Amino acid sequence: MADAAKPKKKGGILGVFKDIVYGMSSHEMTRHAVRTRASMEHLFILITMGDLLGVPILPPYYSLRLLPYVTPQIAGWKRRMLRERDVTDVLG
Amino acid sequence: MSLRHVFESQPDRRYVMFGGKGGLGKTTLSATSAFWLARQGKRVLLFSVDPQASLSDIFQRDIFGKGPVPIMENLWAQEVDADRRIKDYQEEIRKKILDMYGFEKVPEEIDNYIAAASAEPAMEESAIFDAVVDIIVQGDYDYYIYDLVPLGHALYYLSMAKVYDEWINKITKLRADMGQYDQVAATMRREETVQEDAILSELIYIKERINASSRILTDKARTAFFFVVVPEEMIILDTKKAAELFAKFDVPLSGYIVNRVLPPDLGAGTIPPYLRNRIAMQKKYLDEIKGTFGHEVLAYVPEMERDVTGLGMIERLARRLFEEGS
Ligand SMILES: Nc1ncnc2c1ncn2[C@@H]1O[C@H](COP(=O)(O)OP(=O)(O)O)[C@@H](O)[C@H]1O
Ligand SMILES: [Mg+2]
Repeated sequence: MADAAKPKKKGGILGVFKDIVYGMSSHEMTRHAVRTRASMEHLFILITMGDLLGVPILPPYYSLRLLPYVTPQIAGWKRRMLRERDVTDVLG
Repeated sequence: MSLRHVFESQPDRRYVMFGGKGGLGKTTLSATSAFWLARQGKRVLLFSVDPQASLSDIFQRDIFGKGPVPIMENLWAQEVDADRRIKDYQEEIRKKILDMYGFEKVPEEIDNYIAAASAEPAMEESAIFDAVVDIIVQGDYDYYIYDLVPLGHALYYLSMAKVYDEWINKITKLRADMGQYDQVAATMRREETVQEDAILSELIYIKERINASSRILTDKARTAFFFVVVPEEMIILDTKKAAELFAKFDVPLSGYIVNRVLPPDLGAGTIPPYLRNRIAMQKKYLDEIKGTFGHEVLAYVPEMERDVTGLGMIERLARRLFEEGS
């Protein structure tokens, strides 16, 4: 059959991703995925926790439901928290 | 067509809503219908999100914020206390954060966020929304009768269901895409597959509930929406406008109920002039209602000699409305 000769079409984001990164070293590919993932994370936090920044997007009742999962990502807080941990570790 | 005929001929319409402006008789008709259906042997939950606790008033007992309270055989009534619900919910979220990270106390920034989010007016709205979703998706009663707060709110609720639905779909998709990138990175690093995304699971849970409730409330096969009107000029005009708006939101409008109709035999005897005048005005507006809503009118509900409160009065009205024909 003619179809059998054609390469199988890869669906979804994975397919697109593989096309883009074709030719990169696996190290580069990993970095690319991690970076893309990180910028999506920003977008996600903005959308779900928007009212933190005065932009309520998700209904607040449901924002709160997600809050526990993004608690470490909430900007500023994580860094400070880590610093405090380090201090107590050193002192302890 | 009568209200009784609607209930009897369409037994799949288990979600029943009464809409209309404040004071027209939504609570009265919700309670009366709930009473009658319960007497027919159906298990009925009558619920309201009205902070005015109107069901407590009509049943003459405090049921506010107490969950489904048994009123009589087969009939339960529930009034959602939104403030209480938000407070409990905040606590739940705090506790979850403490448990998840083994904290002694919730970080200040996060705590401030919880407080700020809870103070927004949108919090009350979305908490009420979620309470209704909770009630509607249970599915264990034969009938769910939703005593709506005034029109604006009803419309707001239904439009919100649509908007929430769309948003949650988009956010869920974004989250699912993020998972695919995690998968790629993990594969490249020759790691085991990434662990299941708790956020995605939460989103899917929220999405499915909202989908389910908005599907129910806009489904003509399962939901009946009745408009309450009274024979008064402004009310007729408002109702016409509202009906047009509702049509835009796919509300399954089932018909109109005309409340507070003066008994026709009242005009026969000698009556005070003001009453005679009122009867004449009513007749004019009743004609107008017949002209405008015509065959969609399901019932003319008589004006009772006093306010409808207590099971005795509800029973009398139910008999007039469902047994004697109207
Ligand atoms: N058919 C009726 N006869 C007598 N009183 C009525 C009738 N319908 C409603 N009422 C009274 O009118 C008032 C408002 O009715 P209610 O059902 O609370 O309206 P809504 O829920 O639309 O605000 C209540 O005091 C109720 O007892
Ligand atoms: Mg009411």
